[in-house]
Amino acid sequence: MFAESVGYELWGELAGLSAMEASQKWILSAMQRHGPELVRMLWRILGNEQDVCDAYQSTFLQLAHYQGRQKPKHVKAYLFRTASNTAISMLRHRAAEKRTLSKATNNAEATQPHVNEIDCKFLAETLRRYVAQLPEHLRDVITLRDLAELSYAEVGRLLGISPATARVYRCKAVQLLAIWMNK
Amino acid sequence: MIKIIKILFNKHSHKMNHNTCRQIRSWLTKVLSKSFNADAEWVQRHVMHCPRCQRRLAGIGKVKLALSMAKSQPHQLDLLMRANTQAIGVLKHSLRKMPKAEKLRTAVPEPKLSERCSKYNRPVTNVAACIAILFLMKVGIFSSANMFQSHGQKALRQYYVSHVGEELTNDIFTT
Repeated sequence: MFAESVGYELWGELAGLSAMEASQKWILSAMQRHGPELVRMLWRILGNEQDVCDAYQSTFLQLAHYQGRQKPKHVKAYLFRTASNTAISMLRHRAAEKRTLSKATNNAEATQPHVNEIDCKFLAETLRRYVAQLPEHLRDVITLRDLAELSYAEVGRLLGISPATARVYRCKAVQLLAIWMNK
Repeated sequence: MIKIIKILFNKHSHKMNHNTCRQIRSWLTKVLSKSFNADAEWVQRHVMHCPRCQRRLAGIGKVKLALSMAKSQPHQLDLLMRANTQAIGVLKHSLRKMPKAEKLRTAVPEPKLSERCSKYNRPVTNVAACIAILFLMKVGIFSSANMFQSHGQKALRQYYVSHVGEELTNDIFTT
């Protein structure tokens, strides 16, 4: 009798495991569906291929372990917000590292190009640095709208705000960035 | 603008429906974007003499330039492949072995269907316009031919009535 009940339990566990495996297939589907857009957005935020791969990996790892391996209600929203947050924290980490390094070498002026010089990379890097400093609600909108190239309607849907609010936030973000970049 | 004022001061404004609202919204947007656009003449005239606005516009221009710089920098074609491989590497063993995972490991970014079809936009529009013109021409020709036939028949009947009489004409035209 006891052996029989143990057997049933084992079968139950096995069935549960296989069901979980089957249910985790959606991660691959999400990767297939949203992967190219995510990579594009991460590349635009980070500008470094290794960092893109790391942020992408971290995003999917978080997705796989979301609330006891459950599927989030809005996979796309979860993916984009997680990827954006991961990339921004990487940017901040990178900026902090740079500051420490420049303090240590005390040679910051020599490595930094002249501000008036139109240097594509420098301009993009400056923008990335300032985007990382934006308040969260403005940063989310500017990354999703301008770097991921999603429509306002989609940005609103992903962030749980109306498209009009997304427009206002984007406008505010651009104004703030303009002030910072003019300094 | 006049249209909006007319609608706003309409006696039956309480009967306004969603369409009216939508129309007003679109007209307002058009009017406002015309009047308050950064390229509007009065804005440009002001900016010429206002250093503060010049600074602000320069800053916004810089942000737009930086955004387009960030967008225009290309990445390696195999970046998606590498990112997928790295991400799949940390998933469960059973997921890693799936055929879909194998496919993702070799995936390359492809342009969207709308982007792929965008090059055909112009020819398709031209063909559609040609078809529309042909259709209209055909409709026009046939309706003109019908009209011509009926008018001709009437004239002929009138001729017969005046020369051979009503009764005989009816006999001829009914057979």
